Amino acid sequence: MLRKLMKHEFRATARVMGPLYLVLIITALGTNLSVRGMADSGNLFLNLLGAMVAVAFTVAILGVCLMSFALMIQRFHHNLLRDEGYLMFTLPVSVHQQVWSKIIVSAVWFFLTGAAVMLSLMMISLDVGVIQGFFRGLRAFFQAITAYYALNGTAILLELLVLFFVGCAALCLQFYAAMAVGNSFANHKTALSVVFFFVFQFATQFISSLLLSGLDTPGMAQFLANLDFQLRGMAAIHAGIALMTLLTAIDGAVFYVITVYFLKNRLNLE
Amino acid sequence: MEALRCDGLCKQYGKIEALSDVSLQIEPGRIVGLLGPNGSGKTTLIKLANGLLTPTSGAISICGVAPGKDSHRLVSYLPERTAIPTWMSAGQLLDFYGDFYEDFRRSAAEEMLSHLGIPLTQRIKQMSKGTREKAQLIMVMSRAAKLYLLDEPIGGVDPATRDYILSTIIGNYNPEAAVVISTHLIADVEKVLDDVVFLDRGRVVLRSSVDEIREEKGMSVDALFREVFKC
Repeated sequence: MLRKLMKHEFRATARVMGPLYLVLIITALGTNLSVRGMADSGNLFLNLLGAMVAVAFTVAILGVCLMSFALMIQRFHHNLLRDEGYLMFTLPVSVHQQVWSKIIVSAVWFFLTGAAVMLSLMMISLDVGVIQGFFRGLRAFFQAITAYYALNGTAILLELLVLFFVGCAALCLQFYAAMAVGNSFANHKTALSVVFFFVFQFATQFISSLLLSGLDTPGMAQFLANLDFQLRGMAAIHAGIALMTLLTAIDGAVFYVITVYFLKNRLNLE
Repeated sequence: MEALRCDGLCKQYGKIEALSDVSLQIEPGRIVGLLGPNGSGKTTLIKLANGLLTPTSGAISICGVAPGKDSHRLVSYLPERTAIPTWMSAGQLLDFYGDFYEDFRRSAAEEMLSHLGIPLTQRIKQMSKGTREKAQLIMVMSRAAKLYLLDEPIGGVDPATRDYILSTIIGNYNPEAAVVISTHLIADVEKVLDDVVFLDRGRVVLRSSVDEIREEKGMSVDALFREVFKC
């Protein structure tokens, strides 16, 4: 059922993101032409046209990034907490599946948006040689650090992908939790959702600061100094990524529990 | 087994009691009118049966199953407002229902849409309010469910549409299922009902078959309703 939920979620979001990606690619091509010929043509009309296309490309990048973010919020709010909620919460699926479908689809769009922006930036480069040079440099970089640190590029890439997904999920869940709590009230649902978002942010910062200050005590310093472990080179990088992933997952898990609890027990559709 | 069963069901919104000690059983094969004035608790009861609300106390079950993921397979629910996604086309809506409900009869739905002249490519947002409601009803009644919960299906529509809606309900429901129709427009639905449940301020004040009301009290359900709920 999760697969079916995701299928229809992709259907609902692709009709917005698809055309935006198309605009991004078209304006990137236009900017490429502008850089190649129009800007230095000496013709005022072509100069102006080139500048406008470049501005349109910048707006398209902003638009596609903002829309992928706005869509993550809008889909949760409109599809689950407004009128469509009557349909969605009476489907033979669990609340967990509803929430995961939203998280996974949003994460995929964040990833695709990043990839589309990178692709469009490559497209505005003057010629293919620049792109080839970029990838040659990237390969040389990986070869150099592989030789020096015995880097497992595939493992690092997979770990970073997992961190990216967990980070996206935690980001989505911060908004979902605030909306789920705000909409459990009878009135001022939107205003309360915004208030709860900032309350959650404040609480997260406060608890993080407390934990960090807890590390800076003589007792903790002594404890860490007495720990008998050594991490060198790539092992330290793997451990660092794993620790960041774990902390982000804990952050996301807290908001996940809040979201699911309120959707299950305090759902208050208008 | 009862299609719908409530035992001492209570629901409070803060200090306001929306439902109080409601106990009733609805058997398969019956069309039941859930009747009462505005604010009597009809929608709350239907929302509880759909798991959209959690009871304050008491129990509710559908074919022996508590409201939730499993009961949603058995219940076909028509909410009082249009809940179908407006960005979808009629065809995509058929795909949606077909994907999630094993008992969805796509050919029956296509036939009803075609009868109304709704092309599968037409988007819901392009339809009038009345047509959207009809499209939603078609989806709901195209399921071979065990229990149909229809919340105000004829509220806010013209008399011709009311007739269409009632004939769609009667012509398409699974005869082995129970149908619960919540409304305060008694005269329009009376002709299709087998039983009635009167709700007043969250309490069941009358439970009877339509035939009993006519034979024993010598009046129509509409007349009895006006008498019971006289201001």
